[in-house]
Amino acid sequence: MAAPQDQYGQGYPAPDPYAQQSPSQPGFGTSSPPPPGGQPEEVGGKKKKRGYAAQAYDFGAGANSALGGQQQGGGQFQQPGGPPAPAYAGGYAAPQENAYGGAQYGAPAAVPAVGAPGVPYGAEQPQYGGGVGYQPPAAGYPGPGAPAQTYGMDPAAGGVAGITQGMGQMGVGGQPPAQAQQAAGRPAVLNQLYPTDLLNQPFNVAELDLPPPPIILPPNSSVTPSPDANCPPKYVRSTLNAVPTTHSLLKKSKLPFALVIQPYTSLHDVDDPVPIVQDQVISRCRRCRSYINPYVTFLDHGHRWRCNMCNLTNDVPQAFDWDAAAQKSVDRWQRPELNHAVVEFVAPQEYMVRPPQPLVYLFLFDVSYASVSCGLLATSARTILDSLNRIPNADRRTRVGFMAVDSSLHYFAVPKDTDENGETNMLVVSDLDEPFLPIPQELLVPLSESRLSVEKFLTSLPAMFQANQNGGSCMGSALRAGHKLISPLGGKIVVITATLPNVGYGKLEMREDKKLLGTSKESGLLQTGNSFYKSFAVECSKNQVSIDMFLFSSQYQDVASLSNLPRYTGGQTYFYPGWNAGRSEDAIKFATEFSDYLSAEIGLEAVLRVRATTGLRMSTFYGNFFNRSSDLCAFPAFPRDQSYVVEVAIDESLTKNFVCMQTAVLHTTSNGERRIRVMTLSLPTTTNLADVYASADQCAITTFFSHKAVERALSGGLEPAREALQSKLIELLQTFKKELAGGNMGSGGLQFPANLRGLPVLFLGLIKNVGLRKSAQIPSDLRSAALCQLSTLPMPLMMQYIYPRLYSLHDMPDNAGIPDPETSQIVLPPPHNLSSERLVPYGLYLIDDGQTQFLWVGRDAVPQLLADVFDVADRTKLKVGKSSLPELDNDFNERVRAVIAKSRDYRSRGVGSIIVPHLYIIREDGDPSLKLWAQTLLVEDRADQGMSFQQFMGTLREKVVQ
Amino acid sequence: MMSGEAWLYLLAVLINAVNLFLQVFFTIMYSDLEWYVSFNFYGLKKDLENPTFVPVRRRFLDYINPIDLCNRLNTYIIPEAAVHGVLTFLFLINGYWIALLLNLPLLAFNVKKIVDNAHLLDATEIFRKLNVHKKESFIKLGFHLVMFFFYLYSMIVALIRDESH
Repeated sequence: MAAPQDQYGQGYPAPDPYAQQSPSQPGFGTSSPPPPGGQPEEVGGKKKKRGYAAQAYDFGAGANSALGGQQQGGGQFQQPGGPPAPAYAGGYAAPQENAYGGAQYGAPAAVPAVGAPGVPYGAEQPQYGGGVGYQPPAAGYPGPGAPAQTYGMDPAAGGVAGITQGMGQMGVGGQPPAQAQQAAGRPAVLNQLYPTDLLNQPFNVAELDLPPPPIILPPNSSVTPSPDANCPPKYVRSTLNAVPTTHSLLKKSKLPFALVIQPYTSLHDVDDPVPIVQDQVISRCRRCRSYINPYVTFLDHGHRWRCNMCNLTNDVPQAFDWDAAAQKSVDRWQRPELNHAVVEFVAPQEYMVRPPQPLVYLFLFDVSYASVSCGLLATSARTILDSLNRIPNADRRTRVGFMAVDSSLHYFAVPKDTDENGETNMLVVSDLDEPFLPIPQELLVPLSESRLSVEKFLTSLPAMFQANQNGGSCMGSALRAGHKLISPLGGKIVVITATLPNVGYGKLEMREDKKLLGTSKESGLLQTGNSFYKSFAVECSKNQVSIDMFLFSSQYQDVASLSNLPRYTGGQTYFYPGWNAGRSEDAIKFATEFSDYLSAEIGLEAVLRVRATTGLRMSTFYGNFFNRSSDLCAFPAFPRDQSYVVEVAIDESLTKNFVCMQTAVLHTTSNGERRIRVMTLSLPTTTNLADVYASADQCAITTFFSHKAVERALSGGLEPAREALQSKLIELLQTFKKELAGGNMGSGGLQFPANLRGLPVLFLGLIKNVGLRKSAQIPSDLRSAALCQLSTLPMPLMMQYIYPRLYSLHDMPDNAGIPDPETSQIVLPPPHNLSSERLVPYGLYLIDDGQTQFLWVGRDAVPQLLADVFDVADRTKLKVGKSSLPELDNDFNERVRAVIAKSRDYRSRGVGSIIVPHLYIIREDGDPSLKLWAQTLLVEDRADQGMSFQQFMGTLREKVVQ
Repeated sequence: MMSGEAWLYLLAVLINAVNLFLQVFFTIMYSDLEWYVSFNFYGLKKDLENPTFVPVRRRFLDYINPIDLCNRLNTYIIPEAAVHGVLTFLFLINGYWIALLLNLPLLAFNVKKIVDNAHLLDATEIFRKLNVHKKESFIKLGFHLVMFFFYLYSMIVALIRDESH
């Protein structure tokens, strides 16, 4: 790692290909051309290109292809007539982002990628731009693409050698194992700090996809040489991948120390297998109760082990080296718990207070007029019917129950299939004050035994209430009755409602007043309207009952109050504003999501606890659960699509070279097995502030502050929450300036480490998120639902929710939208920064925040594009709003559909989620409200009451530099 | 024969003693939950995950969970505020302005909390707000302690005055 600073200087400017401030930096020139292997194609591209009209080229190299430095404008480079080919060699800055990534984090794999991606991009342009002819109507678009040629030409000769050399060094130097081996004891070299200038080297969205700074542990810290000995970032991510040894150093850094924990990365075990310890030999520390993990040390010829958390020596159990099933000894070093940081133990009897409970689903249908008329009842009944096979039922113990709710309670007694003349009976109870169970036995039936009756019931359910004119909903009382029904077993209550609960217990009122929105009183609307929803949630948690809310009202529904039930019982609030089954998109979205929801292999009766090396303490927990004690989170049902944040306090100075944090989730699987999922994360410690900053993870930090902001918004109001975010950012910038940048800013720039460069834009995205944005237009229901998302989404989805993805489709590279030959995954086009400057009037864009997708059609889109994608001849015939793309038999349509589908594919991103985003088609000159909605996602733009990114940075600079 | 003033101060002393005890009780309960926190760092606690290990002291104490704790403490919060309110009212109608003035800040604090509907402990928030609650309890404890001696002193002064008459 010789002279890392220099290397950085070379590699770094890559994401900023047009930066006028640094046109002569050698690094830029070197990283821009493809490596030797790619050159022939490059030449081919040139030749091809020359054949097309200049227009065609301009189109390709237009605004969208310029990722990096568009803001600086191409003023001095205006050379519209220039030879096209070289221009576009630099036109796609994306490959150079990789260069930056490789250089910065030293991931060796990234080095060869530097030039490689450039090749396909290179080949792509002429075909699409020229061949089909989606040229921009405006001829001679000079565009910022032009400047690239300056760069494109110069490196041609010496550049390639330069880059190979430079990158080679980096590859060696940045390789964590190499470094680690040189170091004895405390790793001498942790991640290097690369200060960058935030103002002159603009952030590129592709940086968000980079892995977190690597965790560089001292050599031989794990007992086995397994590559899986440390927890992968998809399960647990720490905001700091180098832990300060003292509380004062942490305080000085101003950075938060927290873990972002996502115990499950998919809805089903098949998609995310974890090694399982089957033999029920669970070795734990006697004192701190930590589970044996790859970081313990063995003593006394392997008869005893020393706990890596509290240093106590424990006996190794007799059965540890013995396979009871095969009656032979096993090699200890092959045991999964010593090789893998993420394992699942099958728990013996002692880990149960009662026999594992079956999976129980109690459905509470809203059958009031609003629900029946919008088709909710029919759709949900139909979806359950279709999904009966998908509900986990491996042990044939799964039970289901049904209740219908309007202003009275309707119970359904479903008979067993063996019962010859069994009929499903409906029992109506109008006493809401003390709801009783008419016949407790038959209200909750095993699915396997009553399958046919359940099917028959679900088929007839919509017809039963077809003519219901009742507008009341006694959901609170229904919940109490449902709780009473399932509390002996525990389980899930699924509430599907389109009405504000207005009768009986937990009665809510229409308290939203348009005049309050946007004022400081607004926060009152985000708080619970009736204390019933908190106390009842606590009661449910105690009895292992979890509640999920599916809310559909087209009017005010008080999501703020209702969302408390899922919040404290490990559930989730799903909100579908203005839903109507009459629109097929709505119906399909809900049916797909609900079906996936039912199929998820949830855990039951779960508790989560995090243990850590002596000196560390878990201080605060964020997420949907109930804190049964200060460090124990209780989940009646453990969902697979949420993540949790745990703040860690440093109580005593850390003396070890590395610390461990072990998350354990004890749960009952949906097929009745008691298991413990254990995730052990190990992090190096440091006494150096620079190391702390260099190893900070911007995504984890943003997730932490998102949870903090939600908490603040609910208790103190939205304005304080936004202000807290901004002042935290200023504080971080000031600290960095004072402590690490030597207080001198040169030309008044804003310095920040390369690995935290995304923080300003992420914080701005958070401040401008629906949940927190300053606006008088956002109904409080939408806000509450967004706040629920902000405090539960798994990290990859959270990042997208905060900083949505923008893909340019009309000029996507040739390999985008088709499967990658190696991984057979669809390749996505390079993402763009969220600024309307990136949108050309003739373009087609996809903006995706994970909850909603917008397909943006520019106002000058050429007819051919519309015909190919939407099958319409004229822009005015294009149907805007919620829609789906027609399946057409042409290459471009297929690719666009593939990109849209890939953009909503969660599995490949290592997250479980049921959300199927709506696709909205937006015409730039169409419905202004839709257009405005889509534009709110462009967070770098100025919005009605929000700052643009430039303004935001300006404010930060003023505050920091003053 | 005792005068009305002495009687009033005697009553104040008694009421104050009650409040004092309540605050001590609150503080102990919070600390217990907190003790749980610090001790629990070593995982010495009976729960599902630690089936066999029960710390010695815990064996003889009830398992305190935040729900029960909040329910138990919440029953005392309104009576405590009410008793204090009555006392202050008595000072007002009898015209003991100094005692009234001393009590007004706490009265205002209590009234504000009740008006804001923030007086009850919330089991879902208790761990995050434990420090705040503890601090509040300590301050009230100190206040009541000071007031206790003030009332005692005032009572004795009143008695001496009675004697001298």
